[in-house]
Amino acid sequence: MTENKSLLSSGWGMVTHNKRYIFWFWLLNMTLAEFGTATFRNQAHAILDQSLYSDRLVHGFDLSVLVELFMRPEFGPTKAPTMAAVYFITLFFVATALFLPGVFQGYASNYRLPRDEFFRVCGRNLWRFIRLLIVAGIVMGIITGILFGIQSVLVKKAGDSTNELLSFEVQMITLAIIFLVMTIVRIWFDLAEIDVVLSDQNAVRRSIAVGFRQAFAGLMRLLGSYVLITIVAALILIGGLWIWMRLVSPSGVWGAFCVGQLTLLLLLIPRFWQRGVAVAYYQQRELVPVVSVQPVMPEPVAPVVAVEPAVSPVIPDIPPAPQAT
Amino acid sequence: MNSAPSIPDTTLAINSSTPMSQRVVHYEIDAHYDATKHTIDANEVLTYHNLTGQALDHFPFHLYQNAFEPKATLVREAKLYGARDTNYDQWEDKYYGSEDIKSIEVVGQGDLTSKLHYLQPDDGNKDDKTVVDLPLVKPIAPGGFVQFKIAFHEQMPETQERSGWKRDFVLGGQWFPKVGVWWHGAWNCHQYHATTEFFADFGVYDVKLTVPQFEVVGASGVKVGEVNNSDQTKTLTFHGDDIHDFAWTASPRYKVKEDGVYNGQMGPVQMRILMQPAHWDQVERHEKILRESLEHFESWYGPYPYKTITLVDPEPGSAAGGMEYPTFITGDTSWLMPKGLYGPELVIEHEFGHQYWYGMVATNEFEEAWMDEGINSYTEVKVLDSILGENTSILNEAGITMGEREAQRLGYVSAADLDPIAEKAYDYYSFNSYGGVTYGKTASVLLTLEGIVGKDTMARAMSTYFMRYRFTHPTKEDFLKTIEEVSGKDLSWYFGPAFDGSQVLDYEVIKLDSFPANWYEDQKKTSKKNDKDTVYRSTVWLHRKGDFVMPVDVQIRFDNGEKIREHWDGQSRWTKFSYEKKAKAESAEIDPDHKVQFDRNNFNNSQTAEPNGKPARKVANYWLFLTQWAAQFVAWWAV
Repeated sequence: MTENKSLLSSGWGMVTHNKRYIFWFWLLNMTLAEFGTATFRNQAHAILDQSLYSDRLVHGFDLSVLVELFMRPEFGPTKAPTMAAVYFITLFFVATALFLPGVFQGYASNYRLPRDEFFRVCGRNLWRFIRLLIVAGIVMGIITGILFGIQSVLVKKAGDSTNELLSFEVQMITLAIIFLVMTIVRIWFDLAEIDVVLSDQNAVRRSIAVGFRQAFAGLMRLLGSYVLITIVAALILIGGLWIWMRLVSPSGVWGAFCVGQLTLLLLLIPRFWQRGVAVAYYQQRELVPVVSVQPVMPEPVAPVVAVEPAVSPVIPDIPPAPQAT
Repeated sequence: MNSAPSIPDTTLAINSSTPMSQRVVHYEIDAHYDATKHTIDANEVLTYHNLTGQALDHFPFHLYQNAFEPKATLVREAKLYGARDTNYDQWEDKYYGSEDIKSIEVVGQGDLTSKLHYLQPDDGNKDDKTVVDLPLVKPIAPGGFVQFKIAFHEQMPETQERSGWKRDFVLGGQWFPKVGVWWHGAWNCHQYHATTEFFADFGVYDVKLTVPQFEVVGASGVKVGEVNNSDQTKTLTFHGDDIHDFAWTASPRYKVKEDGVYNGQMGPVQMRILMQPAHWDQVERHEKILRESLEHFESWYGPYPYKTITLVDPEPGSAAGGMEYPTFITGDTSWLMPKGLYGPELVIEHEFGHQYWYGMVATNEFEEAWMDEGINSYTEVKVLDSILGENTSILNEAGITMGEREAQRLGYVSAADLDPIAEKAYDYYSFNSYGGVTYGKTASVLLTLEGIVGKDTMARAMSTYFMRYRFTHPTKEDFLKTIEEVSGKDLSWYFGPAFDGSQVLDYEVIKLDSFPANWYEDQKKTSKKNDKDTVYRSTVWLHRKGDFVMPVDVQIRFDNGEKIREHWDGQSRWTKFSYEKKAKAESAEIDPDHKVQFDRNNFNNSQTAEPNGKPARKVANYWLFLTQWAAQFVAWWAV
């Protein structure tokens, strides 16, 4: 538990020392989403702006007005705004992959990473990350495919039961298991990503191996930290939605926007915290010397003659003691 | 010595000392249900009173359970046009249902089993066996009686079309050979279609059901006996008066609440509620809406004469929810049902409403489905609006609302120009069109009619219609004539396109313009003048986009608070209204009192001079949040 605390606090320390990353990712998230929702917004403005009927969306939220909006031929097929959103989501994913190496480098550095170094690291690791993400995608695809396949069979079986709740319970339990397994996989590839960046590792397969080894060497510590942080994320989301629903008036569009964006900004923190935890763990593991170094004591020198020594006595460079093992 | 056949004049199941309907049939059924094989073996004695005024030499029977086989019309249509619950993407053995008449004897004419032959009066599909015809040796004279003794075997399917089994639950609906209706000088006995329901004569039912002793049973009518048999089965006897169908259900797991009594206008009504154990916490909610529905229907339309109403919460995941049978309805809920989501209330009110529009006013559901489903949807809007609020009768949770009134209109809008209301249920373009028009359009057209004749007049017309035509088989003309008679208005201009046509109603404010009358003067000079003295020339153009012609009101609002009402007969394609005032026109709205309920597009019914971007920004903000959250979620897991 103490070790977990140490990991969580080390990770949290990295996040707080590099708050700017979260801000920039949120800005990127919002800016891209603004583009992604442009189609939707334009379609909605064209129909709603000059109609008194649309007032029912402002004073309260009449779902039938929204449904009718989607049904209007001039609104167009909902596929168009959905596809725009999908493109944006893909773009945000690519941007995250692009800038993440810089974030890892920043977290691992004990100084404020200069902008040019941040982007240099990003560029240097781009192709490595693409390869790593392909492997991660394959591994995750296979594992999720298998797990959801099993879940589907179990839920269907449970559906035959006369206990109506059983199906739901099985679904929840299997989802929890899938979440835990996928979190482990995520830890594995987080550590692999960190290894690629911090070891400047060009052979991605080696980083994947390192990530795998490290993940399972401290699995319970890491899993505990990741799960705890995910719970924090869930609480942020629930809290944000609660404030939105309870404290923002139905006609308060700007209030809703601010609460929504604040929630989304805060929601970014937990994932960065998890990455901070992984970096802290990686550093603890990888920077620990393999063999403990004993200070080399100089041989006793017989005080014989006052002869000038040929060389200076060797003073060993003692590495700092590991913080925790 | 056998007594001459007759129809009993019992009143055991109704709060009346005399029969309330012209009783044509008496069914006496002794059925044994095998809960393992989901089969029924039964003997049925049907006594038929020939009140047709002419000799009858043949009798058609419905064998509804034969619809559940892949070549039958119902499955064929469901595959083509869609259906309520099962689209039959793949055929499975459990979908099979069958209803075989093992023997049929006509008392006094002998065993006529060999004379049975299947008919396909609607589509000629030779593989459809849902109607069987029996020619008699001797015709039955007008006023005479005939008695059929039928032995039949039935294989029930896994629930489809609100009939069959699911796990250890069973719903016996349309489960016995049922004679057609002599109507308008001919037998009316349609095949079972994907979109059709039923039609039958009133009469008396005496049904014995033998089921395993562990089963909890509910059924139409009143229970008059229960005995345990030596083979671990029990036999329950039910009796129904002045009903035209009989349904039953059994499950070992029902929890029953039967202490609720509603004191109706004709006497007490026992509310018997059979709930799934996982839904037991909702039993009060079920009873409340049932009681409130009874209260509203009795006070608005007329008395409920039966002694019981059985409400069944069917097996989860079964296609048995939301169905009506005389004195017996099924609801539909789930273990997770937020208080502000009124799904159970909606279904229960709707199915209870069918006790009036189907149960007592027994219209032909094959040919005029709108007269039960549509009229019932109209009264459903009225009752639910009254109980749960006009704009909140479906959903009122977390600031999000939705009303049944708008839901019915949206159902219609989804299939606005495909079919008229007055169409045979099996002739609709698709199942979606059948649903949108039969339920949604009828409800919306009747709500609009209420705006034309007035709420009070419409309420009186509905009550008159019910009291006049209960326990009969009225037609469209009977209904529409009643409304004209009560309102004292000739409404043919409305009834024609609304019921017989597929014209679409869509009015729009095409343009709203308002500018200073002295616009040509020097702008600097004019701006120096007091703005209050500026005279504006305002014009509003209205457009009838659709082909449904209807007079409408329009309200023009000016920026000094003044409102002007205009009336447009809608005959021309467009019209305009112009004003010169010391005020600028702010907005124009067609149908400002919202009396027209089936305008295809509500957004274009009004126009404001200045745009208000708030509604669009609000919904776009939701979309933005969802998109950002989805992006974060993907990035969380994938990188």
